Amino acid sequence: MAKLLPIANNVRALREANGAITQSGLGDAVGVTRQTIAAIEQRRYSPSLEVAFKISRFFDVGLEDVFSWDE
Amino acid sequence: MSFLEKSAWLMTFALLISGVLYFNTVMSTSEELGQLAVAHLPSMIIYTIILCLVSIIGHIVIAILSPKEASAKHDEREQKIVFKASHFSGYVTGTCIVSSLGLFLFHHDGSLLFYTVFGSLIISQLSEYLLQIFFCRTSFI
Repeated sequence: MAKLLPIANNVRALREANGAITQSGLGDAVGVTRQTIAAIEQRRYSPSLEVAFKISRFFDVGLEDVFSWDE
Repeated sequence: MSFLEKSAWLMTFALLISGVLYFNTVMSTSEELGQLAVAHLPSMIIYTIILCLVSIIGHIVIAILSPKEASAKHDEREQKIVFKASHFSGYVTGTCIVSSLGLFLFHHDGSLLFYTVFGSLIISQLSEYLLQIFFCRTSFI
């Protein structure tokens, strides 16, 4: 199993809570590919601050409502 | 599977096919001659044509299958993947080239040097594409 990175996130829960937005749809909105959104959700990739802010703004929540530190 | 990963698989396949065909030709010619065959331009041209054809046709096919991804730029994660794979394949290139030069110091055979350096470049490119595939599939910072 791939190693989990320490930045946890609620991206999947937020997608599902906001009308089942697809990974592809979110990716288009924040300027990354569907695969990158999938990697973020699976904690295989930690996004840049810019993308992290774009995701939180997309869901209209604070950055810490989306991402948290989890060692 | 992302366009980057599909492209990496395609180039791995293209390099393997063309490389195996080229070195197979070199080996069979060398067996006929009873010594290492001297490198010739025509076989290099055939190698290059095969590599170009497979990669161009393959990329056209995967672009037709996923046109949106094909026209998009690499995103931040893919840029890091490309950069990191290129970084590590640089070590492979250096190691293989230095080994080739070391081999030349013992054998003093220009043709052998040509083939080992050429093989080093193929191995280096292969390692770059395989690392791209690996980084696409695993945790990546």
